[in-house]
Amino acid sequence: MKTTLLSGALALLLPVISLAGEYDLTVDRVEIDTGDFVKEGIGYNGASPGPVLRFKEGEDVTINVTNNLDEMTSIHWHGLILPFNQDGVPGISFAGIQPGETFTYKFPITQAGTYWFHSHSGFQEPDGAYGAIVIEPEGREPFRYNREYVVQLTDKHPHSGDRIMRNLKMMPDYYNREQQTVGEFFSDVSENGLMNTVKDRMAWGGMRMMKADVEDLQGFTGLINGKGPDQNWTGIFKPGERIRLRFINSSAMTYFDIRIPGLEMTVVQADGNNVQPVSVDEFRIGVAETYDVIVRPRDDKAYTIFAESMGRSGYARATLAPEEGMEGSVPELRESARLTMADMGGMHGMDHGSMEGMDHSQMAGMDHSAMKDMDHSNMEDMDHSNMEGMDHSQMAGMDHSAMKGMDHSNMEGMDHSNMAAGGASDPFYAPGSGLVPTAANGGKFLSYADLKAQSPLYEDREPTRDIELRLTGNMERYTWSINGVKYEDADPIRLQYGERVRFKFVNETMMTHPMHLHGMWSMLDVGAGQWNPVKHTISVQPGTTVFMETEVDEPGQWAFHCHLSYHAAAGMFRKVIVEGGPESTKAAVSAQTTGVGGDA
Amino acid sequence: MSVSKFVVAAIAMSVSMTALGAGSHGSGHGHGAKSGEPAKFPEGGRTITVEMHDNYYEPEAFDVKKGEIVRFMVENKGSLVHEFNIGTPAMHEAHQDEMMMMVEHGVIQGGKLNHKMMEMDMGNGKTMKHDDPNSVLLEPGESKEIVWKFTDKGDIEFACNVPGHYQAGMYGDVNFN
Amino acid sequence: MSRWTSWLVPMMAGLAAMPVLGFAQERIQDTTARKQPLKVWGAQFEEFEYRYSDDDEELAAWNGDFFYGTDALKVRWLTKGEYSIEEKAYEKLENQVVGQIPISDFFDAKAGVRFDTPKGPDRTYAVLGITGLAPQWFEVDANLFVSKDGETSTELDAEYELLLTNHWILAAALDATVAFSEDREIGVGKGLVSTETGLRLSYDVIDRSFSPYIGVVHERKYGDSADFARAEGGSTEDWFAVIGARLSF
Repeated sequence: MKTTLLSGALALLLPVISLAGEYDLTVDRVEIDTGDFVKEGIGYNGASPGPVLRFKEGEDVTINVTNNLDEMTSIHWHGLILPFNQDGVPGISFAGIQPGETFTYKFPITQAGTYWFHSHSGFQEPDGAYGAIVIEPEGREPFRYNREYVVQLTDKHPHSGDRIMRNLKMMPDYYNREQQTVGEFFSDVSENGLMNTVKDRMAWGGMRMMKADVEDLQGFTGLINGKGPDQNWTGIFKPGERIRLRFINSSAMTYFDIRIPGLEMTVVQADGNNVQPVSVDEFRIGVAETYDVIVRPRDDKAYTIFAESMGRSGYARATLAPEEGMEGSVPELRESARLTMADMGGMHGMDHGSMEGMDHSQMAGMDHSAMKDMDHSNMEDMDHSNMEGMDHSQMAGMDHSAMKGMDHSNMEGMDHSNMAAGGASDPFYAPGSGLVPTAANGGKFLSYADLKAQSPLYEDREPTRDIELRLTGNMERYTWSINGVKYEDADPIRLQYGERVRFKFVNETMMTHPMHLHGMWSMLDVGAGQWNPVKHTISVQPGTTVFMETEVDEPGQWAFHCHLSYHAAAGMFRKVIVEGGPESTKAAVSAQTTGVGGDA
Repeated sequence: MSVSKFVVAAIAMSVSMTALGAGSHGSGHGHGAKSGEPAKFPEGGRTITVEMHDNYYEPEAFDVKKGEIVRFMVENKGSLVHEFNIGTPAMHEAHQDEMMMMVEHGVIQGGKLNHKMMEMDMGNGKTMKHDDPNSVLLEPGESKEIVWKFTDKGDIEFACNVPGHYQAGMYGDVNFN
Repeated sequence: MSRWTSWLVPMMAGLAAMPVLGFAQERIQDTTARKQPLKVWGAQFEEFEYRYSDDDEELAAWNGDFFYGTDALKVRWLTKGEYSIEEKAYEKLENQVVGQIPISDFFDAKAGVRFDTPKGPDRTYAVLGITGLAPQWFEVDANLFVSKDGETSTELDAEYELLLTNHWILAAALDATVAFSEDREIGVGKGLVSTETGLRLSYDVIDRSFSPYIGVVHERKYGDSADFARAEGGSTEDWFAVIGARLSF
């Protein structure tokens, strides 16, 4: 009570005695050794990944960034809420940092949690220009841990970013070594019969789409904190301790499925914002997302952190151990993922005639895994005739020990097919999608539907405007766009200060797109109303429609794009202009922009 | 129809198992440990105020003497439903599975409890009431008290077994001295 | 709700502590490379090989292209030739420079010029063609050629790659030429002129940039063209064993 009062008083005094910290970063050419290959790249303060920047909520930070490269650079503070001219996107926030120049960023830290920073120039980020940000909250954390580690993942490739982009444009399947072969044809024939297999191949061939088109970029070495699988980054613990792991996916292109065999992970934060804790066996981290989990290893042994790529073409590996040098067993990669026709549901060029009746808008509500919103008060009247759609994935926890007296005579109709698989359905994937993740141990796999804000960030209100963004592209040409228009040809998206905009993402491609809006929070609609999780990056799976809401509370102009490096560069990118704003801002902006002109 | 009966019966059964397992009679739940027993509050006894927040307690530890009877005034100052449950780690672990079911079946809904659901007659005389004497389950703003006798020394924690809360650190230690 | 307050307080702090920053924010225009069409170049040799025929003829042959441009417009230089090692002469030497624009999701249109400069008479043609990916993964390239003197011909190329594994690839290729008018001087008769069929088994050694292969190629002339070839003492049908590499840079 006393401390609360004291910190309250401190908060009031903040304007006078605010914290201030100064940090220096240099942008350097560095050598990156993955254990599999050594490659020249770009790093910060002489290393890739760069340092972990540790800030405190309420602090005013000054960051001096010196460009030691012979090309322009920039640093974007991914997920931080700050004035737009500090956001670090050349051409949108500022002009960029010239070779030899030192640019000074200054902004207040108004949030807490796990974030990261990276270059927003060319392909410097895939070339190694990234680092982690950890912000300590003003008050206490709403969870407890004895120690913490940043676990920053990336997909380091032997080719430079420029080369990768060129190869993908030349041959979109250049890096795909998980394609369907003659051997797979015959194994499918023996499993499904000749006719079915031929029909299947003809259907995909007719669309000129590949079932194996899950990852554009294979052949990388997965790194954790800069260490390859053989270099084995190790975090030390004492048995019984609670460890907070701050997972950050800094990959250019790779989604990872993360598990620590033998440990349950309690997810307490996503994209820097606390979520109501949910315990899982495995979770998928999209490109640019962060997840904080708490684990409690009780045994005096090594545990492997195993991060398999979504397409199963590669992995990152690290270890939690009571002492350096210990190793746990490293699992085998699972079978490579294959898309299904369900993932093509939104495909451009397909017959949409029969799809009009499909209402994707309710999909968030379909998940019964966290059945909070269901009213069971009238259970006698419930119609269970459509129970196929029910997700029983969470039923592992059911106590069946007292079931002897129960009447099972009428259970034939129930579909338990997914129970063993640990839930092969997820409302954020197209029904029947080949990408739906399942936990390796048959347990709980985190779904977006499980994410609920720990405390609402904004007062809940109706959105004032809807904006539909179709995620579009052409795999054969390796062009990526929004509403069919590439960034080079697009007008900015104009938002009004004070609006609450509901964005509707319709993924018409067969790839997963992690959509990142700079400068303002993205509240992902999981059907939890004011408890919807607050994120900065939202993955939209093939053939699905996903909604997010944004309180337009930051004036200026911002980037909004798919965070897959080569999709953003190929055109899946927009500028967002927030018009209006607080009076003082408006005056300042209009005064400043005279003669400069907006980007009409 | 049969399905709804199945679900209801399963809930009812598992909740009644909870009452037996983690409940007042110290049946041991197969672990041979118990956390004490309910008691009548003696005049001049000690009262400890426990605040529930999202997701932690204040205080996070307190001292008791063997055989001491303590009255806990528990108040939920958070915005989510929380539990205050006195038990051994094993008892908490067992209870967490049951709490998971209560969430899955809509009894605990983030910031509120579905009382209608809890009190509904399941047709076999059982209800979904969470009324074990060693615990209280509170909605935001609610407060309740428990009078508890710490009969034996042991590894006893007070904990919130709403799914994920214990794992995230919503527990505290009962220290015997 | 909490965000509003936690947002406001430091914001005030920011305003108070950093007047320099304030809101002196100008909206700049994006003139970075990101806002420009992406420019790409590439070089590929689909065939780069040594051919040994069933009547002991030795040839060096290639089929390559270089391109530079954007999604909307590419300039492409296509080069194709057969060099007789014994005669030290080009039996076939074809260069095209074309502009290429997309016309549908999977097809591009091409227009440009073709210069044939083998041993013997030279020819210059205007080229109009389409190239792209047909259903069931057939890569097709169809061209119409019109010479200065108005002789027209068409060429259809199709290729299919069978993935034995993700590194062992069996590629089947068929090229067919049909002339709508005779060009006696260069041995072209009206109708189906010739076909070239190839089967090549390759292995990707370095990414997709170096893939050595072995294979067989069958060349055949038809109708009047075959007669012209016979009249000159040439063969009308050849089988080749080939060894080479598919290259891309």
